Amino acid sequence: SLHANDTLYSELNREVENGRIARLLMKLGTINERPEYEGNPQWSEQDGRYVIKMFRDFLFHQVDAEGKPVIDMGHIISCLNKVDAGSQEKITLTARDDQNIFVVSYNEIKKQVNAAWAELQKPSMRR
Amino acid sequence: MDGDWEEVGRLLLPPPGANAIATPGIPPAVAFDTSQELLWTGNEQGRVSSFYSTELTRYTAFKAGDGEIQQLLLHDRGVIALCAGSVHMALRRGPPIWHIQYGRPYMTEQARDVIADGGTSEILVAGEQDQMFVIDVEKGIVIKQMPTNDYYTKMKRCRYICAATTTGSVNILDSVSFKKIKTWNAYTSRVIDMDAQHDFIVTCGISARMQQAYMSLQPEAFVNVFDLKNMISMAPIPFPAGGAFVRMHPRMSTTSVVASQHGQIQVVDLMNVNTNNIRQANLAPNEYLSTMEIAPSGEAILLGDTSGQVHLWGSPSRIRFAELSNPVEFADPEETHPALNWSVDTPLSSIGMPYYREQLLSAWPSHMIFEIGAPPQKIDAQTTSQLKVTEWGAWARKTRNVKRNQVENTRAAEKTSTSLQAPKFLSEKARESANDASADRRISD
Repeated sequence: SLHANDTLYSELNREVENGRIARLLMKLGTINERPEYEGNPQWSEQDGRYVIKMFRDFLFHQVDAEGKPVIDMGHIISCLNKVDAGSQEKITLTARDDQNIFVVSYNEIKKQVNAAWAELQKPSMRR
Repeated sequence: MDGDWEEVGRLLLPPPGANAIATPGIPPAVAFDTSQELLWTGNEQGRVSSFYSTELTRYTAFKAGDGEIQQLLLHDRGVIALCAGSVHMALRRGPPIWHIQYGRPYMTEQARDVIADGGTSEILVAGEQDQMFVIDVEKGIVIKQMPTNDYYTKMKRCRYICAATTTGSVNILDSVSFKKIKTWNAYTSRVIDMDAQHDFIVTCGISARMQQAYMSLQPEAFVNVFDLKNMISMAPIPFPAGGAFVRMHPRMSTTSVVASQHGQIQVVDLMNVNTNNIRQANLAPNEYLSTMEIAPSGEAILLGDTSGQVHLWGSPSRIRFAELSNPVEFADPEETHPALNWSVDTPLSSIGMPYYREQLLSAWPSHMIFEIGAPPQKIDAQTTSQLKVTEWGAWARKTRNVKRNQVENTRAAEKTSTSLQAPKFLSEKARESANDASADRRISD
């Protein structure tokens, strides 16, 4: 029975992070690329929300030196963890056209996501 | 100034846009950072780029507006870019702090804007227009608006705000009330460059109004000097090559640096004009200087030419930009993480969370509870009748007048479809609505 308990615990340990990561991805997914934002100055290059777009690319659109997609689960999970916790670590974000280069901390990205999420919940946005 | 000054670095500025070709002739805005070893440039498409140290490696870049960047101002918190059409403030690391888009009340789109660098909490913005306005740097809002009779092209703050007008004069404004204290008629036509520091204003300009065609090529062969302490103009400094750019040395209060459009640089003491120290910048044939800037430390000079190159001058052993330099914030080196494979067995907890104290981003608000299990939306008959079946599925033209991905209450639809029920008594209806309400409460709790 003790052994069974241990097995249960290790199983739980394996799956305990799933919900957290799923919720995080859901949040990012609902915020990013909403067509309502088309032409909204808040999401233009001149506003802070632009950081979220650049972070999405940083997270999912990695490429190697030849421009081939790199799919690295470790990268995605470690970045998600850092943004979840709001780490002070800084990363370099580059826009698709190479014209924007930002050095931002995970904590700043987290703040932008939170602000965008709060706005999404406002009744005026729901209609 | 020392004899070992030479060109230590040269940089070809990146093209203004992703697909644009550099348009020579338009001077980019350049500025030395006041607290970090950075050089800032702004181009004609609203892009601001920064370059690190004397090697001029690319640091950050961002878009500040849609028009040409007129001027860059360095502040403790970040960098302020004045653009034709907007004022933008961003962190040195790139992310924006605030952005003011000019509406009609503030400024016409075409206006060339200039600024008085307060360095502290407020900046004064003016241009070739009838309004000047004051921006609160901390809040990023316009706090004051003032009419002006003069159109300004250059502005510099020392003990007063010195503002060059489009007509060749320099207005000396009080730095608190922004009232005009004195007008100094420096040139009869136009001031092309101006600097003010401590007790002096120095200007380069053009006097001959009739020589329209030569205007930009024939600056006056002297630099005008104004003494702010005694409020009188001083004897002009002769500069036979034609003074096009002038800067006061930030640490030697009576020394100024003058340059001609052909790249002749001269270091002059205002008190003793006969001491000469001449250098020649190497410009490609048919290229002219378009900008000159001196670093806050006085140990570096930047020259921009019309081919889009910037030349960095200084003593190779001592060159630095800022008087007191803070380290530049770079991205942290990425830690290596274990390689994971995409198998079903890989738990998502394989990589642990970093240490944290605040609420997690993944925290889900507790009031957001959703009912699940509603029946799927019915495809209406009109759509079904038009369905074209292909290998990968079926498609039809959108017929119903709903938004893309519009949420519909399918439960209600189910109910009404089976709504041919026996009429109810009033008492029955009341009981039913009471039941509904209690059910609702249970869900929201």
